[in-house]
Amino acid sequence: MKVLLVDDEEDFVTALAERLQLRGMEVQFATDGETALRHMETNPPDVVVLDMMMPGMGGGDVLKRMKAGHSQTPVILLTGHTSIDAGPAGVQQGAFDYLVKPVDISELIAKMENALRSGKSE
Amino acid sequence: MKHTDTDNRQVAFFGRMTASITHEMKNVLAIIKESSGLMQDILAFSREETCPYEDKLKDVLHTIGEQITRGVELTSRLNRFAHDPDENIRKTDLTDQVEHLVALSQRFARLQNVVLKVDPPKRPILIETCPVQLQMALFTGIECCLHLMETGGQIYLSPQKQGGKALIRIICEGDDPDETAFGELLFKYEKWPALRKQVEILGGSVEPDPSTRGISISLPEKIPV
Repeated sequence: MKVLLVDDEEDFVTALAERLQLRGMEVQFATDGETALRHMETNPPDVVVLDMMMPGMGGGDVLKRMKAGHSQTPVILLTGHTSIDAGPAGVQQGAFDYLVKPVDISELIAKMENALRSGKSE
Repeated sequence: MKHTDTDNRQVAFFGRMTASITHEMKNVLAIIKESSGLMQDILAFSREETCPYEDKLKDVLHTIGEQITRGVELTSRLNRFAHDPDENIRKTDLTDQVEHLVALSQRFARLQNVVLKVDPPKRPILIETCPVQLQMALFTGIECCLHLMETGGQIYLSPQKQGGKALIRIICEGDDPDETAFGELLFKYEKWPALRKQVEILGGSVEPDPSTRGISISLPEKIPV
């Protein structure tokens, strides 16, 4: 599975990337929305894990740009406390699912696998 | 409800700043969680390489994990508390508010060897009220009971629906105070007048209940504006 992790907290995203790599996944990461969109074009992932609250282009904007470009790649949103309503709102905007940070890695992987299955069945 | 605009702005300011900081705290906890998770993974995925302190490291990582869970719970509670002033008056489930305040107040009780418990009703009790004012009144009620329980024990908070009103009974269970002295001691306590005023602002009333060594707070379903 090819995963793109997007979160402005570099220490978080690098640790999570290594954990997913240890489980055999191909992982690339970005710490801002613009870089994430570039990765999407140059090396399209199977699943995107996207933080909602980022400086500059936030997760919601990245999701909108993806949908405007007719991207079919499933997106799992990460939300914090202050954006707890953003998860369901993001799902309404086309995200596959959401998780509240800090995430449980087993839950994240289960959601990514569901997202991949649902993408293949479409 | 009698609040000045300045009061509301100050509370909203504190709430907004606290909510923002709790968001940052959650990011910190997320980084610690993933970093300790990575250490656990490294231990688990490198079976062929022996680590002389593997068991000790696993114990330490387990402790870190438990403290992250505790930190997340506390941060979530604090974040919710910080968001309470977002709406001055709103429809809310009384039991949920009581459980939230009890979770926030456990440390105050623990310092006096008292355990706070909620006796929840079977159905939600929806009231339209000021969440911040309600939290203040519930906390002062708990403080009054803690003041009278010198030797520790338990305090039960029991939200109930009674007629067209909502009732919260705060009940002391312990060796003291004596039933006969309960009302008199309560009236002498400096925070009792504050409690009465806080409940009045919510459009309700508060009475001592010596038979249960408790306090009964009665609230309207809808706060008078």
